[in-house]
Amino acid sequence: MSRTEASFPPHHRAPPQDCRVPVEHLDYDYIGKCKDVKYLEKICTVLRSGDEGIYPHLIMFCEDHLEKLDPRSLALRKEKPVSTAACLPNDEWSQIADELKKWQEETKASETSMKQQSMFDALVFENMPPIRGSNCSVPLCQTSVQKEKRTLSKHTLPRDYREWDKFDVEKEFEKIDRNLDKPDAPAIINQGHPKIKTKVDASLLTQQEKLLLANREKEKGNEAFRAKGYEEAVAYYSRSLSIQPAVAAYNNRAQAQIHLQSWHNAMRDCERVLELEPGNMKALLRRGTVNNHMGNFQMAVEDLRVVLREEPQNAAATKLLLEIEKKMKERQPEQRSRGKTILIQEIEEEDDNDKTRAKETEKGNTHGPLGNVTYYAQPVGGEESSAAPAERGDMGNTQKKPHSRGDGGPHSEPNNSHHGHRRGKGASAEKYRVTQESKEKVANGSGKRGSTASDPADPSSRKEPPVGGNAGETVNLDAPCGALPPPLSRLKNEGNLLFKNGQFSDALEKYSQAIQRFTDSGMNSPEDLCILYSNRAACYLKDGNCQECIQDCTRALELQPFSLKPLLRRATAYDSLERYRKAYVDYKTVLQIDISVQAANDSVNRITRQLIEEDGPEWREKLPEIPLVPLSAQQHRREGPPSAELLQARAEKAARDAERKAEVRFTAVKQEGNDFVKKGQYQDALGKYTECLKLKPEECAVYTNRALCYLKLERFTEAKQDCDAALKVDPTNKKAFYRRALANRGLKDYMACSSDLQEVLQQDPNVQEAEKELEEVMVLLRQSLANVSPAQPRTTVPITEVAGDEETPGAAQSESSRGEEPINLQLTNAYEYGQALNAARCSGSTAACAALLASTPPERLPHFLSTQLDGNTISFIMQALDSHLLEKDPHLVYQHLHHLHTAHRFSVVLMLLEKDERRHMTQLFEHLSAVQSAEFTKNDVQNLANKYI
Amino acid sequence: MSSPLDKPQIISHFQKSLNYTVFDSKWIPCSAKFVCLGNYARGTGVMQIYEVQQGEAQLIKEQEFPKPIKCGTFGATSLQQRHLATGDFGGNLNIWNLEVSGTPVFSVKAHKEIINSIDGVGGLGIGDGAPEIVTGSRDGTVKVWDTRQKDSPVANMEPGEGETKRDCWTVALGHAFNDQDRCVCAGYDNGDIKLFDLRNMSLRWETNIKNGVCCVEFDRKDINMNKLVATSLEGKFHVFDMRTQHPTKGFSSVSEKAHKSTIWQVKHLPQNRDIFMTAGGAGNLHLWKYEYPSQRSKTDSDDLAVGVAGSVTLLQNATLSTQPIASLDWSPDKKGLCVCSGFDQTVRVLIVTKLSQV
Repeated sequence: MSRTEASFPPHHRAPPQDCRVPVEHLDYDYIGKCKDVKYLEKICTVLRSGDEGIYPHLIMFCEDHLEKLDPRSLALRKEKPVSTAACLPNDEWSQIADELKKWQEETKASETSMKQQSMFDALVFENMPPIRGSNCSVPLCQTSVQKEKRTLSKHTLPRDYREWDKFDVEKEFEKIDRNLDKPDAPAIINQGHPKIKTKVDASLLTQQEKLLLANREKEKGNEAFRAKGYEEAVAYYSRSLSIQPAVAAYNNRAQAQIHLQSWHNAMRDCERVLELEPGNMKALLRRGTVNNHMGNFQMAVEDLRVVLREEPQNAAATKLLLEIEKKMKERQPEQRSRGKTILIQEIEEEDDNDKTRAKETEKGNTHGPLGNVTYYAQPVGGEESSAAPAERGDMGNTQKKPHSRGDGGPHSEPNNSHHGHRRGKGASAEKYRVTQESKEKVANGSGKRGSTASDPADPSSRKEPPVGGNAGETVNLDAPCGALPPPLSRLKNEGNLLFKNGQFSDALEKYSQAIQRFTDSGMNSPEDLCILYSNRAACYLKDGNCQECIQDCTRALELQPFSLKPLLRRATAYDSLERYRKAYVDYKTVLQIDISVQAANDSVNRITRQLIEEDGPEWREKLPEIPLVPLSAQQHRREGPPSAELLQARAEKAARDAERKAEVRFTAVKQEGNDFVKKGQYQDALGKYTECLKLKPEECAVYTNRALCYLKLERFTEAKQDCDAALKVDPTNKKAFYRRALANRGLKDYMACSSDLQEVLQQDPNVQEAEKELEEVMVLLRQSLANVSPAQPRTTVPITEVAGDEETPGAAQSESSRGEEPINLQLTNAYEYGQALNAARCSGSTAACAALLASTPPERLPHFLSTQLDGNTISFIMQALDSHLLEKDPHLVYQHLHHLHTAHRFSVVLMLLEKDERRHMTQLFEHLSAVQSAEFTKNDVQNLANKYI
Repeated sequence: MSSPLDKPQIISHFQKSLNYTVFDSKWIPCSAKFVCLGNYARGTGVMQIYEVQQGEAQLIKEQEFPKPIKCGTFGATSLQQRHLATGDFGGNLNIWNLEVSGTPVFSVKAHKEIINSIDGVGGLGIGDGAPEIVTGSRDGTVKVWDTRQKDSPVANMEPGEGETKRDCWTVALGHAFNDQDRCVCAGYDNGDIKLFDLRNMSLRWETNIKNGVCCVEFDRKDINMNKLVATSLEGKFHVFDMRTQHPTKGFSSVSEKAHKSTIWQVKHLPQNRDIFMTAGGAGNLHLWKYEYPSQRSKTDSDDLAVGVAGSVTLLQNATLSTQPIASLDWSPDKKGLCVCSGFDQTVRVLIVTKLSQV
């Protein structure tokens, strides 16, 4: 190692001898007054060295003073020990540690997946540039030129007159000329902008690599942007986008284009962002800026208003808005005005846009070169202005519609948002004409509206009453309404009028009547019924009755899927009930139908933030599925073919959606299955679980759940197979072992059963059921080994198990709530049955017990009672049978009694019965024998009684 | 940056003592693993691979070689292969498949003496053009290698006849923003810094910083060269603005006296080219930020463009040890994670916080 020798300097250097610091200068006063940074540094060194004694406070004072004078002074740099985790606040460290752990897991996973991917080495090599010209030798010095220069300089000046005489001016000039031709430095300096390829061939890369590369190119763009190399930044953002289109890169490129003043490109990028993510604040703000520069003040104002509604404290937007408004005012008297314009610069660090948005404001403030707002004296030149009209023309497609559309009142007939449905449905000619007219109105109006009704913040336009535009119509209550007969349309119009006047409950009544009559009349016009429901929903919404509103909207949507207003209302209702996920889905659907619904745009943004707060970055995964709106139902779509990049982005999104959809469907079906289990409908649950397994054959929990169903249905072989499958997926699944044990017991394979149970107990010794089961099975095993067949073969195998595991989450709940409910009548196992019976007995309610018995198949009774049987229970059952059931269904009583005595331990319990209890029993038999019945005779009763008494 | 907690913090995540001298440590791209290269006291070379797991380093693999290994790079390999190119005390350039132990996938006797420094470009998706490796050696030559060409370098930068051979301590590749352009920068023990243009196969620029050049690095390899940092033996480092080259003045620079001893290493944050860390001979680390001037170039009296250097600010410093920190590497995947090793036979994994906020 050649460098080591120089690496250890002396540790402490004594202050220089020549300029000693006098002791008097080591004083608060002197230091306080001293302005000489160099000298202060010296004082500081002396103080720190401790040669004159140690004065910690004086040192600190000196340092403070020095910092005030020169914060970058070298003397202030102290050696600090490296921090450890303990130096940070606890939460901060745990966050870092968590992140690190997550990263480790992620990289590990992605690394293994990368290893599994096939390699395209051969292909990659083919695409590589050729090998450089072989073994070129490059000299280390620029020798030749320098030497020549030196020789020349030696001869330039003549030393005496003789030499002057010889001096040939022409020749010297020639020399100089020649010299000028030859530059002194051989360096090849590439001035101007070197070409950066704006496309990257990413076809051979895996998804993971693409993401990595795209991110890196974006980072390069960000860096270039910060260094104010905007053209370079645009090139790198384009590269990033050519690898993988992403919102953040488009957004950043738009900003860079703004700096380069290529407004059209910037506009295109903003549009793309808004298409991929409607309501992106930054894109709106930037589009506002671009529009401002292109002279489209109206549109700029609209965009900025939207931004300000979402982020009222956004300084950049406020300022720009003021500028524009001023400009617009100036413009009215004299057409052209030139003023300062503002460029908003913000750049995203991360690609997760939603995350950055929160941080953004503070970041913008701390960033020196990236400050939020810079004034940029830039004339809106004639060129831009002249280009504006043309641009405005094609902007019309994407222009926002006025916001009254967002959450208006009920549908008034002609302004119905789903055109086209009604046509040719056998409606009257008059009606047809009306619709047609109104449609024309809408078509013509949309152009105008942009300029006239452009104030989205205007509250009056938002609360527009239902029949808004055609107020005259409301007077005529008998105006025809769709295919509705006159009395119904009258009701509806009355409702509309009342709604408009704010009498919501009265309107509600009218609509309800209309709906009632509509259904009574049995008409077949789903559109009209849909409108009625939708209108009633609006009333409910106004009344604050969100539940009803949701119901009505759902009905309306069943009748007419993807109608805008019911969807929007339901979304609002969900929103106010704080069921944000559902609201989000509905709003998103609305936006698919019509992207220009401002209320939906705003709410989506708000809810997104809310959900991120609640669920963290994975919030999207917890969403229910967003339905795909068919093209026919979509309105206000952008014309023009989307770019290839956009298509790619969409395709990827669709793939992700499909994946998520499958996931959602899976969970939904599983949930249904679990619900069936809870209700005891095992056959149905079985079907659901089978469906689940078709979707996802690798899900352990579903196998065990289905095994449970099979067990309950006493299809032990299948149950065992399912358990085997579950154990193949997860070889340590306790539940699968336990259920296989039960299945084995059912199959009378006690050996396998006991080994499974032992496995369970080994994994978790606290499973009491397993322990109990094991004891029983051991007994059975011994019996079977001794080949002694039991005197009375057991008819059924008791399956006792605590429900309420994580796979059937509802079970625990239903159990806990049983205390209040009288009785859950669909009980499935001995444990539950025993619980129910005990509950009834504790409350002394023979009626409850009777209900329980009535719902129990008599032949299952002994099995259910097997663990619970004691004198009290028997007597209680007797009382219940006697007092409640005997009158209603003596046959059932007989059947119960007929089976009850076969219960396990019955004879023992019988012997221990007390007098009172015996009396109840005798009474029952007396009453029973008094009953005349076709199903059993007195003799039968007598025989039965002998078994009991 | 008002309160001290707003500044980036350098936190020691964990450290591991080793029984050999570590010369170089490098993160394996797309993984939580790093590789340490060094030599045993008995004079043999060693390569160890560690994985970061729950706050400690788990040794995964170890291999011993006849010659001590001085340096390594992943710069010229694909993300899928992740082959490590190493230079050893005997002047051999070897490329290893880390999945398979045993013989190297590529091996060449590159130099007559120890390879002091190695760098690669064109792999990992960084830099357009062919994957190439550059090696700098005590024998005074700097050679560029293409793994597809077995025995001879594709470019060889050597002193002419009769010139004194200087010990090349460090090399760096950069300027690889399209298929043709590419530059090699080399630093020598006498303070020379030379910039070779591989497209024109010529020396493009040279300067002398008076003291031996311990480390040079471009802020990014795959862009039109932007900045170059060179560190020196006596504790100074120089940041050159590489965008504007004046015919005579060359590139403008700013220098800073940072450490009281040799600056052994400089490494730019892969996620932000304007932040870099220097590692010093007294076992300390300094984290810096470069700030651009308002105008990066101006015209001088002869109407020629001349660059304007910006300024550097110290963001944070930390002392790890009393021995020099000889190697430093930022994780290319996890922002703020870095590994460094020193002559105290210890490898440390550090976390630098709040890098996005500076």
